[in-house]
Amino acid sequence: MQDARLRLISVICLSIAAFTSVFGAILTLIWLFLSPGSLLPHLRSAALWIIILITGIIASISQYTGGEGISYFIRMSALILLAFTVYAGWRPGEYLDLSVWLFGKKAGFDIGLAVEMSIQGFHDASREFRRIFTAHTLKGIRPGIRIIPSVGFLLIHSRLMRAHDQADLLLSRGYVQGGSCCPEFRTTKKDIITGFCAVLILILSFFPVRDIFILRI
Amino acid sequence: MKLSLTGIEKSFGGWKCAAGAAFSPGVHLITGRVGSGKSTLALLAARVIRPDKGIVQYEGIHSHTLSFQYPENHVTTSSLEEEAFSYGVEPDHALDLAGINAGKTLDPFRLSRGELKAFHITCLSLRPWDLLILDEPFSALDCRGKMAASGNISERKKEITLVCTHEQHFLPRTDFLWEMRSGLLTYLGPVPEAIPSWQSATGPVRRLRAQGILPVNLTWQDILEAACRMHD
Repeated sequence: MQDARLRLISVICLSIAAFTSVFGAILTLIWLFLSPGSLLPHLRSAALWIIILITGIIASISQYTGGEGISYFIRMSALILLAFTVYAGWRPGEYLDLSVWLFGKKAGFDIGLAVEMSIQGFHDASREFRRIFTAHTLKGIRPGIRIIPSVGFLLIHSRLMRAHDQADLLLSRGYVQGGSCCPEFRTTKKDIITGFCAVLILILSFFPVRDIFILRI
Repeated sequence: MKLSLTGIEKSFGGWKCAAGAAFSPGVHLITGRVGSGKSTLALLAARVIRPDKGIVQYEGIHSHTLSFQYPENHVTTSSLEEEAFSYGVEPDHALDLAGINAGKTLDPFRLSRGELKAFHITCLSLRPWDLLILDEPFSALDCRGKMAASGNISERKKEITLVCTHEQHFLPRTDFLWEMRSGLLTYLGPVPEAIPSWQSATGPVRRLRAQGILPVNLTWQDILEAACRMHD
């Protein structure tokens, strides 16, 4: 999906739908599989499966103790997959455009800038993590729970240093508040159709399944 | 002892790093323009990343390590003492050699990047590595630090040392010269014979070459000695 506005609307609709009911979650999964190009690379991601595994453990405990574990697992899995797909779909400057379009050139610019810098920070942290992990391996320190505190500390430290540098950079470029930005969006037919489907899924998720398929006898 | 890179290829988007080489004991200097693939080659040689094609083979190499350009990437503890231990070296000796007058309990991140780099390079030099791969070992160091690091590297004659750098003045005593040319590792030959064909030669070497003078080697002293010959 290329239009960030439609993507935002779709994500809000699908998140509510997936969280509200199992039917909504299943429809969300179907919606995700409509554009497999952006979904399939994540199915090979170790992070995705680790998070789903943790969700599965929580769901199992919930089911075992009399809760709705299975429902929770399906709904959360759909939400996690949706989050991974949306995160990967980000292109630099996109959320700045979206924020300015939504909230204007003052508050919108500030919010957009903060979001862009945060996402950029996530990408940097991911690269940094691999580098720190390699440094541990080179020192003969085996990966495991023991290295989590030191890796976490290093990541936080490097992020804070980077944030400090970025703040200095913004200040030296004369940034005080707001900014000039002319957002541009490209809307394709596919965007409109998938966006419409997302709204439809939200509406359908509030109806019981038997009402939709006229299963009442 | 030998490091062999056989038909190595690693692609990132439209850019490719390729190498076919065998590194014997001695100091191998690998130079090239920024973005020519020196760091990628270092990562491949250290087996940190896998090549898309080809094989990286270690023969008789029992210990190896890689030094990244940024020393903070190597910090794994919260004090200089623990940091020295993490390299397997004695903290007092390492701090003394690195010229750092700070308490052993100091957080490594309280040092400047140059001090941290000097400490890191010193810690590495105190361990006997069969294969030592240094990616930009002189960055962030001052002249004194660069000379000390060059001196340490020059002493490694029996082991394999790969130095990937675009340092212009303080180079180690080099046995073999290599060049990354648009992602392709090119062997130029032993030093000083290889100096005439060195495309990315340092400024001082280029100036000497223009006068028809070749230094015996690439250390600061060799350059000075050759410069003196220029005025004879």
